[in-house]
Amino acid sequence: MGEERAADAGPAAGTGGPGRVLVAVYAVFALAAGARAAVQLSTRFAEAPLAYLLSAVAAVVYVVATVGLARGGRAGRRVAFVAITTELVGVLVVGTLSIVDRAAFPDETVWSVYGRGYGFVPLVLPVLGLLLLRRSAGSATAR
Amino acid sequence: MSPVLVVAITVVAVLLALLGAAATLVRRRIGLLHVAGTVVLEILLLVQAAIALLALAGGERPAETATFLGYLLGVLLVPVAGLLWARTEPTRWAGGVIVVAGLVVAVMAWRLLQLWEAARG
Repeated sequence: MGEERAADAGPAAGTGGPGRVLVAVYAVFALAAGARAAVQLSTRFAEAPLAYLLSAVAAVVYVVATVGLARGGRAGRRVAFVAITTELVGVLVVGTLSIVDRAAFPDETVWSVYGRGYGFVPLVLPVLGLLLLRRSAGSATAR
Repeated sequence: MSPVLVVAITVVAVLLALLGAAATLVRRRIGLLHVAGTVVLEILLLVQAAIALLALAGGERPAETATFLGYLLGVLLVPVAGLLWARTEPTRWAGGVIVVAGLVVAVMAWRLLQLWEAARG
């Protein structure tokens, strides 16, 4: 490793610093949810249209959140805020529905049982995302 | 798909993740070691993809072919994207990005093996 020490994330850090790690995780989920939805919709859409459409919605939400967080700035943060809030509501609603009405969700989606298939990361991710947004918004207005 | 190769991929991926975590913990940017680790990992993944594609061409079929192909080709992007995303980060958190990439590759490699073995029953 080089001699240079890393700069500590300054107050202006929007997508820099720890946020960058979060963007990486979001990108992974955008890819995973997108690929899963594509497979489900193209090979067995008729089996559970609602669940597979929700899968596709989840994928779009992850993509939008990833782009919003990665771009940063006021507009990026606003887009990310809407997407991540949708994500939080989605994982809670779909998670609950998948337990209450198992028949409608025969196949795992990213949000089934609060994201159990993905180590509950889908449940933790929006919380971290909102915390990060609040932090960077706070430092932006403080300037 | 050979279990030996999957184990090798896992070892390199986890080592890379540990190196990334180390960089974050000691507040350093990522260095040559991380780049080298990513390159080794990518080469192993390319070898795996080549072996799997040859087997597919030879008529072997994993459990869910579409999902399998998605993982097989998708995993190739992860180290490259991770390294590019980490290289533009001037802080200690670049290592954190490498951690994510390494762990994702390890998980995906085992999922691939699982799908492949499932077809043998």
